[in-house]
Amino acid sequence: MSDSENACISEDLGGYVLVRVCGEVDLSWSQQVRDAILAALGNSGVGVELARVTYIDSSGIAALVEGFQRARSSGRRYGLIAASRQVLAVLQLARLDKVFPMFADVEAARAT
Amino acid sequence: MNAVPLAAAGGGERHALRFLAELSQALAQSLDLRETLEMAVTRIADFMQAEAASLFLLDHAGLIECRICVGPVDITGLKLAMGQGVVGRCVADNATQIVRDASRDARVNMRVDAETGFVTRSILCTPLSNARGPIGALEVINRRDGSLFDEDDAEILRLVAAPAVLAIGNAQLAHGLVEQQRIKRELELARRMQKSMLPKRRRGDFPIRGVNLPAHEISGDFYDFFDLPDGRLAFVIGDVSGKGLDAAFLMVRVASMLRWVGAHAPAPAVWLAQVNAELCRTVQDGRFVCAAVGQYDRASGKVRLASAGFPPALLHDGGEFEELPADGPPLGVLAEAEYGEREFALGQHALYLFSDGATDVRTGATDRLGEAGLRGLIARHAALAPEPRLRAVIGDLKRLHLVDDTTLLLLQEPCGTQAHTLLALEFPAQAAQMRTVRAALRHALDAQGVAPELRDRLVLAVDEACTNVIRHAYGGECTRRIALHVARERDMLAFELRDQAPAVDPACLKPRDLSECRPGGLGLPFIAATMDDWTLEPAVDGQGNILRMHKRIDNGEHE
Repeated sequence: MSDSENACISEDLGGYVLVRVCGEVDLSWSQQVRDAILAALGNSGVGVELARVTYIDSSGIAALVEGFQRARSSGRRYGLIAASRQVLAVLQLARLDKVFPMFADVEAARAT
Repeated sequence: MNAVPLAAAGGGERHALRFLAELSQALAQSLDLRETLEMAVTRIADFMQAEAASLFLLDHAGLIECRICVGPVDITGLKLAMGQGVVGRCVADNATQIVRDASRDARVNMRVDAETGFVTRSILCTPLSNARGPIGALEVINRRDGSLFDEDDAEILRLVAAPAVLAIGNAQLAHGLVEQQRIKRELELARRMQKSMLPKRRRGDFPIRGVNLPAHEISGDFYDFFDLPDGRLAFVIGDVSGKGLDAAFLMVRVASMLRWVGAHAPAPAVWLAQVNAELCRTVQDGRFVCAAVGQYDRASGKVRLASAGFPPALLHDGGEFEELPADGPPLGVLAEAEYGEREFALGQHALYLFSDGATDVRTGATDRLGEAGLRGLIARHAALAPEPRLRAVIGDLKRLHLVDDTTLLLLQEPCGTQAHTLLALEFPAQAAQMRTVRAALRHALDAQGVAPELRDRLVLAVDEACTNVIRHAYGGECTRRIALHVARERDMLAFELRDQAPAVDPACLKPRDLSECRPGGLGLPFIAATMDDWTLEPAVDGQGNILRMHKRIDNGEHE
């Protein structure tokens, strides 16, 4: 499980950007995830897809929180999509699981 | 300064100024206040051509006492009430008084004259006052040439008063400081002496361990253990009622009595009864002592225990607690008190004796830890070996708010199991290292049968601890090392993280409230929420920090 490559790819779906994150999000590259989310929020709503995230640490969670706060202040749509078991566990630990809008898939996220 | 009218000085303005300058300097440099003031009052009397001069100071009771006096009649020690006589009026009104004809002035108290035959003709009295008001007065009586004191003399006396007040203030301040230092030194000495009375910790597999945490410099608690001629071990723990110096003195006495009587190996009930009788004979100020005494036979594993009003002892088998209540009243209350005693097999159980300071620990503004809370602490660390367990419990108590002397005594045979290392890694302080570290840790925890959910949380906690070291202790990524050691002792996992960074103040680390939503600062809460306990302390050699974290894993999940 832990051998999946770390990656963060933004896909413009037209007025909505899907940021797909894979691998183990930790201090070594969580800044990239943060930058990708904030850049995408510059001109559209954003969904962060976390299905293939096998690990996330507090710096990764901080990137998600910052995106959430930025989206709120600029009135953009923002949600976490298909968060993996590992991501959910850490969100619960941080008591953030009820804070983020969570969606099963990108269609549901875009429909809001 | 205003021009000073100096007609009275006789020797002219320059003469008066030189006198004032010299006097001010002498007072400013004063080391011995009494000597300096005596010199000053004498010189004032000479300069003012007065037959007598005296200095009065206000005491704590509000009386005005003559402290320095020169002249034919010594009135040193004379005390006046506020408003009484010329001096009393001067202090009460905080205003200079001039008496030109004493025989016809209602302010003048003629008693001294009547008693001594001295004839008071003319008086000049000026208040000594600082920012908070009058502190005394300076008085001169009768010009030697028979002339009267006038406004110019009053002006000079007022000028002299100011440096005298400063000198008095300085001296009082210095005296207070010296006194404080002396008390501090003596308390520190008393603390060291008390500490030296506690038995030395014995290394190796010795089954008795004690800790005493005084709430202040000195303690009313004590513990002791010693060998009996028949090979058994005797132990004592006690708590003197009240706090402070008298409690500490009584503690020293009772500790000696318990040692003296206990050395003859009497049955614990007799031991307590004898000390109680002696104490009732000699202590009558309402103080009493709660104490528990016992003997332990390592060969048979039997413990005999008796308690005089001491908080219930706890016998812990790792799961259940058995409470052993007191067997009689505290020592020093009832001369004819009798005590029961109990005997039981210790086996692998742990016997905890604790003074009520341990349960009086504050967990909030007013909430006490209580007995249930203390049991909870003990249970949390139950899987640790006795020594680290006692340290961990004490660590928890210290993190809470100690309000009373706190003493713990632990009797337990060292357990057979040994900690074994699950993982030992050393790596540079770089975030890119962490993926490998996490993989190794997951692997090690899987091998112990740790459930995946707990495993992931433990990995997260260790990862957060490492990245905190990288980011905060080292101040960023570098090539310096982090060492991770993971061990298991029975069902306790022990994580140890060492760095070589400058010492971090553990007091600065407080997990933040998770109920607010903001990025950052989540690492420590993750650690606190996952581990049973964690401590950060500087490495013994002074270089670096050691973070220790413990997590008990359920026995059912493995072996």
